[in-house]
Amino acid sequence: MKFLRKILDETGKFVKKTPALKRLYPVFEATDEFFFGTDKTTILPHVMDGMDIKRYMSFVIIALVPATIAGVYFYGLRVLAVIAVSYAFGGLVEVTFSVCRRKPLYEGFLVTGLIFPLILPPGIPLWMVAIGVVFGTLFGKEVFGGTGRNIFNPALVGRVFISLAFPEFFTTMWQKPFWGGLGGLIKFAPDAVTSATPLVNFKSAHFLTGYSSLLFGSAPGSIGETFRIGILLGGIFLIIVKIVDWRIPLSFLASVFILSFFGNIFYPNEFAPPLFQLLSGGLLFGAFFMATDPVTAPLTFSGRWIYGSLLGILTVLFRGLTGFVEGVMFAILLMNAVAPFIDNLIIDIRFKKISSSA
Amino acid sequence: MKVKTFSGGYKLKRFQGQPQDKIIECDLPSEVSIPMSQGFGSELLPSVKVGDKVSRGQIIACDDNKTSSPIHSSVSGIVTAIEKKNYFKRELTMVTIKTGADDGCLKLEGATVRWDKLPNKKIEELLYKSGVSSLDREGIPTSFKTSIIGPEAVEDLIIHGVGSEAYNTSLDILLAGRNLYNFIEGIKILMKIMPKAKVHLAFNKEKKKILERIKKLTTKFTNFSIYPVVPKYPQGYDEVLVPTLLGKRFPYGYSAANIGIVVLNIQAVLKVFEAVGQGKPLIERIVSLCGPSFKENIHIKVRVGTSLEHLLKDRLKDGPCRIILNSLFTGANLNNLSLPVNRTYSQIIAIPESSQRHFLAFARAGMHTDSFSRTFLSAATTTKKIPNTNMRGDERPCIQCGYCSEVCPVAIMPTLIDRYIKLGINENLLRYGIFNCIECNLCTYVCPSKVLLGQHLKAAKIKLIEIGCDQSLCIVPRFDFKEFDEYKGVKKLR
Repeated sequence: MKFLRKILDETGKFVKKTPALKRLYPVFEATDEFFFGTDKTTILPHVMDGMDIKRYMSFVIIALVPATIAGVYFYGLRVLAVIAVSYAFGGLVEVTFSVCRRKPLYEGFLVTGLIFPLILPPGIPLWMVAIGVVFGTLFGKEVFGGTGRNIFNPALVGRVFISLAFPEFFTTMWQKPFWGGLGGLIKFAPDAVTSATPLVNFKSAHFLTGYSSLLFGSAPGSIGETFRIGILLGGIFLIIVKIVDWRIPLSFLASVFILSFFGNIFYPNEFAPPLFQLLSGGLLFGAFFMATDPVTAPLTFSGRWIYGSLLGILTVLFRGLTGFVEGVMFAILLMNAVAPFIDNLIIDIRFKKISSSA
Repeated sequence: MKVKTFSGGYKLKRFQGQPQDKIIECDLPSEVSIPMSQGFGSELLPSVKVGDKVSRGQIIACDDNKTSSPIHSSVSGIVTAIEKKNYFKRELTMVTIKTGADDGCLKLEGATVRWDKLPNKKIEELLYKSGVSSLDREGIPTSFKTSIIGPEAVEDLIIHGVGSEAYNTSLDILLAGRNLYNFIEGIKILMKIMPKAKVHLAFNKEKKKILERIKKLTTKFTNFSIYPVVPKYPQGYDEVLVPTLLGKRFPYGYSAANIGIVVLNIQAVLKVFEAVGQGKPLIERIVSLCGPSFKENIHIKVRVGTSLEHLLKDRLKDGPCRIILNSLFTGANLNNLSLPVNRTYSQIIAIPESSQRHFLAFARAGMHTDSFSRTFLSAATTTKKIPNTNMRGDERPCIQCGYCSEVCPVAIMPTLIDRYIKLGINENLLRYGIFNCIECNLCTYVCPSKVLLGQHLKAAKIKLIEIGCDQSLCIVPRFDFKEFDEYKGVKKLR
């Protein structure tokens, strides 16, 4: 510990002295703060809550651990390479912007860098991961002013970009997961055997994949979205520790359930049954980890109820009535754009205008 | 008895260094310096001169024409100096008295245990003469000018022992033994002088024993009700108590007295009885010493005017610490230990000053860390939390987690207002209720981005008032204010 402190002190001095490295000081500062916390003291109130953004973000990552491990198990060690590429290139964009802006480096990217690979198809080429994450951080976050100001979820922006730019990969990259034994933990990548995802199966052949294979992840899907028990556990964990607002996942999942229940009764060819809807595709992952991103979700609590229910309605409609079988991604992006409007509406109703003539 | 509470707020977990149920008397200091304004009331001119001999309990400042209550000498001795000193950002006259031989305490004339035989006028005079009428935020109304309203205008009287702060004076100590009966007598006295008032007693719901005893003793009272309340911070604030108990709107920024409500704490009611029943002038306070930086967390009976140095010497642990008056969230720093104790002190808190950096501070298990979120182990255990003055994180941009709106006791959205403050001072701030803010600082406490919301809001309020923004504009039309013109210099209403 003392040794590390010494190294950091020396590096800090060196970075500050060297003119060529001076601009990189925020990077050093972030590293220093990461390891040693802060030495600032309070003014008022005299004590502070122990929680900070670093802990906030680390808990989201902890909640993602089961899904990530399952991803490696199903799709081989190559998944680790995908995650590494995502962190490396996304981090590069983040550092570049913080250096150019001369602003401190923030922690928000830690979560984006892990969520992004988890929503990609397992067979994705590494260069495409790099393109996606760079595009996502750049146009999803940095152009709006960085952490805390983005309108769209950066990971989703990246994923939508590559899925529209290279659509062929998103129809053929769904490899069959390893199942049984040590699975992908001792293999690099699954065989080139691909199959259709459960949602595609329903759309084209009205074939319903079994619920247990959906829950445990033996049906194909994105890297991190198939092990649904892990996602449920992670999401409930986040709700218990109060990092995720329970209103959004609850209203999202409930409205999906209700709408698909009635849709399935009246138009069974378009709308899959409710339980299948809940357990297929990226719905659970999206509801617990992406729709709840506090920056892009509404701030008001009543706004969050509206946001969640509209998300559910949009998802079911996208899945049932359009060619895009995976509706969650578009639903969340659309609702991200609407979220500030919902907030304004709620705030307008809640705080009456003061008439200046009084 | 239905448990009452409010939406928002945060129940603070137990911090280390709660005062124990033990009370001692502070030894007499060699000199006391008595500020000429204590509690509610304007500053008075001393009626003694340097060199005068004064006795314990003698009135040394009194002005019947000002909104004020008299001030007494707390020791017998000789006045050695009368000088201006800086006391909590105010220039105040202080009378310094050198302690001499004690010749007993002067009793107030006419005080008797059979106070119910006394006319109201006499009781009010006793309250005024004893200085008790200056206690609490807006004083106790008497026919002397001690509060902004008269006793006959009081519609509701709230007495509270909520204990919602991080550190509270122990109710078991305050109401031990005979004190409980004195407390009930005190309530009776207040009921007598405020004939129209309905009395509401709000009590920490966790103190079931005392609650039961009070309930038994007050069965015959009319116009009296007891409410157990959840000790969520900031329940003890007037602004929160009034809506919780009475369901009335509060004129934020003004006082409860403006709508005919008087809010008193337990110690004030006890002092009422001591003044009327026993004739004791207000020269003593029970102060609790809280926080881990004290060697022993106890209650201490201390004379008004004793310097902090005398009170705290040998009681603090070594090492840097911050000494805070009354509240961990809003209390003033007591940097200057030569300042004296006055009537408003109830807790003195000392917590370690910590600018120390911790290795991987954000990843600690946190057995002793208090947090609004449940991300620390302490959420699942009952270990006592250790307070210190470290920021525990760096300032980051707001991520809109909504914690501040969730805890706000007055249902405003601090982060929304903060966003508009950054855009400049404008009338949107009024619209979003900046003047509703009661400065409890809870939003700042829970913020994971460590944005100093409380301070930003306070600064913006001051700026708004400076540019002539009239908060009465949004508050006054909805309320029937009592004796409003005299209050806070607001003379003309549009």
